[in-house]
Amino acid sequence: MASDPILKITGVSRTFGAINALKEANFEINEGEIMGLVGENGAGKSTLVKIISGFDPGFQGSYKINGQEVKFETPSQAEESGIAIAQQELSLIPNMSVAENIFLTGTKVKKFATLNTLSKMARPYLDEVGLSEIDPTTRINLLSVGEQHLVEVARLISREAKILILDEPTAALGEAESRRILEMVERLAANGKSIIYVSHRLDEIFKITKRITILRDGLSQGIQYTKDIDVNKLVEIMLGRELANMFPPRADHISNDSKIKIKDLWPDGVLEPVSFSAYKGEILGLSGQLGSGAGEVLASIAGALQSRSGSLIMNGENFLPKSPSQAIKKKIAYCSSDRKKDGLFLGRPIFENLTSPALNAISNYGFNFGSTEGDYSKNLASEFLIDVKRMHDESGLLSGGNQQKVALGKWLSIKPDVLLVNEPTRGVDVGAKSEIYQRMRDLAARGITIIFASTDIQEITYLPDRVITFYRGMMIDEHRLEQIKTPIILKEITDPFNETNL
Amino acid sequence: MSTIIQDNQQTFSVKFLQFYKDRTLLAILLSLFAVMFVYGIFFTENYLTITNFKAIIRDAALYGIMAIGLTFVTLSGNFFLLSLKETASICGVTFAMGMATGFGSPDLAGNFLVSLLAALAVGIVSGVIQGYFVGMGGNPIVVTLGGAGILYGIGAWWSDNLVINFTRPHDAEWLGTGSFLGLPSITWSFILIAIAAEIVLRHTNFGRKVYLVGANKAAGKATGHENFSMAIIVFTICSVCCAFVAVAFVAQMDSAQSNYFSAEFGSSGDMTILVIATVMVGGNSIMGGYGSTLRTSLGAIFIAMVDNMMVLQGFNSGPRIVGVGLMIVFSIIVFGLFAKGSRAQE
Repeated sequence: MASDPILKITGVSRTFGAINALKEANFEINEGEIMGLVGENGAGKSTLVKIISGFDPGFQGSYKINGQEVKFETPSQAEESGIAIAQQELSLIPNMSVAENIFLTGTKVKKFATLNTLSKMARPYLDEVGLSEIDPTTRINLLSVGEQHLVEVARLISREAKILILDEPTAALGEAESRRILEMVERLAANGKSIIYVSHRLDEIFKITKRITILRDGLSQGIQYTKDIDVNKLVEIMLGRELANMFPPRADHISNDSKIKIKDLWPDGVLEPVSFSAYKGEILGLSGQLGSGAGEVLASIAGALQSRSGSLIMNGENFLPKSPSQAIKKKIAYCSSDRKKDGLFLGRPIFENLTSPALNAISNYGFNFGSTEGDYSKNLASEFLIDVKRMHDESGLLSGGNQQKVALGKWLSIKPDVLLVNEPTRGVDVGAKSEIYQRMRDLAARGITIIFASTDIQEITYLPDRVITFYRGMMIDEHRLEQIKTPIILKEITDPFNETNL
Repeated sequence: MSTIIQDNQQTFSVKFLQFYKDRTLLAILLSLFAVMFVYGIFFTENYLTITNFKAIIRDAALYGIMAIGLTFVTLSGNFFLLSLKETASICGVTFAMGMATGFGSPDLAGNFLVSLLAALAVGIVSGVIQGYFVGMGGNPIVVTLGGAGILYGIGAWWSDNLVINFTRPHDAEWLGTGSFLGLPSITWSFILIAIAAEIVLRHTNFGRKVYLVGANKAAGKATGHENFSMAIIVFTICSVCCAFVAVAFVAQMDSAQSNYFSAEFGSSGDMTILVIATVMVGGNSIMGGYGSTLRTSLGAIFIAMVDNMMVLQGFNSGPRIVGVGLMIVFSIIVFGLFAKGSRAQE
């Protein structure tokens, strides 16, 4: 490169207990450059971002800005050096004006400043991010989510940030709004700002970056020039090949025996009614990014999310569950994506968690004496490889992987016909992941129909027998067995209509 | 000989420490008991007599029964029923009306069963209505504060704010002042209700649901246990307990007035605060999902013990109310500290 990088990180490692989040990772960015940062969940992206922005001082390795070694103890120190981060969750105050939000910290503002003065001061920053038409006195909650992102960036610029980290800015946005963000990124880069762009949307990465840093399992896979690689190559580097072994083999055929028919289901977050069937003993994957509607469809089958229309046809019955308890009565189990929120009773012992959906199975006339419950929960636990000795521990004390096993395993207590799982392995270590995959396959072999939704592209490629892809609230396509290929699915869930002309 | 004793002591202390580790809060409560007990023996006259202990449990019984009812509400994550004393008030007025006038039909005047059923019915109705609004998503504090005003107002309106007297002998004496095998009826009621409540919580599906819903409402809904029916049931249980206590108290006084449970009741002036204090001192989690009626019962006895000691030492009601207040603060601090140390957060 012609100039020295403005920010350079070499050989950075970070461990959390026994987990190596980063192993000797390298990263650099030049002035006025847009650097893409990609990697699958758990690859170390967020750890690296935290280190760069000063949230995480406990790392080993070298961190240089303009050739000088720095060590940030707090985010505000990083900010003084011109590094600012716009996180996915915005930190704006909804019922204050745009101008007030931009100058929230109060630096550079006089002790007494009217809204009028603030508005004038805010103008140039708003112009820079492409919000020229917005009145700075507007309240934040009257803006769209995309505009709020732009205001957040304007605030960072007002504090003279040189290096901006954008962490998945378009994850919750539609096409038009995303385009505004991308335009802003390009304009800022042209003005000499360096931008670290973190995204799962590979189409965007290809559109705006010249170089891409890829992380895999905490290792940086070198810097790639965007013009030299294509999506397939990028995905290959992101995933590595050997990881496919953690998945059990697929079924050799898909049964013709339809177990559950989903007809015209139309929950919020989905653009048009969705219909599909799932067969006996198959694993069906619903693939799509955040906001694609795959998770919403799953939740509405289980009655956890209301659907505007439609019905389920199962065992000759036509119904639509209005609540999870109705779905449970029909032997439909639903394991949500957020186990801490509604998957587990964290303060209660493991055995109570395991038997919670099936209290009638462990009691006589509503009374629960003797060892029935103990035996019942021990069976479930051993089936799902949960430590039987820890049955009386609070489930909140377990590791993420074991918590997920409890959250999933408890549904076996109702002997489900259909098991719905949203994000089966979010926040789960590799060992527990492969155990969970193996269990799901065993259950399917026993005749249970499993439908899962996932944003994890590996999981979607190697686990299911059939995949249905979703993109921004639309059902795109269906693939079976050997036809399930990562590049095709990636294409369908990120850019099915060739909007980016890759 | 001496070594054997030492061994025994060692295993005992090991066991004791283990017990402490497993059930920190219960152990703290029991230790406090021990401290108060020893203090009482040495520094208070007339403390260590059977009569006095009977008196302590008898005192504890009235608000203890209401506190057991409230424990169901608190454990299920629905915070508190703040209309405790108002529910008791209107049920007491109803019972006294029945005993005195038979609700307008002279044939029924003084009929214990009719009056009791009427009082319990009032309790059930008020519990169901308040539970319904909480189950629909209303804030328990707002709903039950509103309920408090309405219930008290109706009771005062109906009775014209007068004292309703009914004369002895009447059919409710056995409950108000009677005794059985040397213990007052109300003490027996307390013991039986405490045992029944503990069995319900530990060994029935309903009890398990109380804990599960209290620990995590969202997960409860996802596993088919909704707070809607739960709220109605627990508020009804609590209100029925209030109604029962009101009946026993009115039967003892041979009269009722709508503000009996604000001014005349016990030492601590305000019934609602005393009952909530009992639940808190027992170490039940305010957020729900953690605790038991056994703790509440012990909390009731503990408060009664301290109160009794202060009476014997000649304190008047002011300092005794301060005492109850200090116990609440203390228990919240202790609970907060140990909840952090021993339980998974997040």
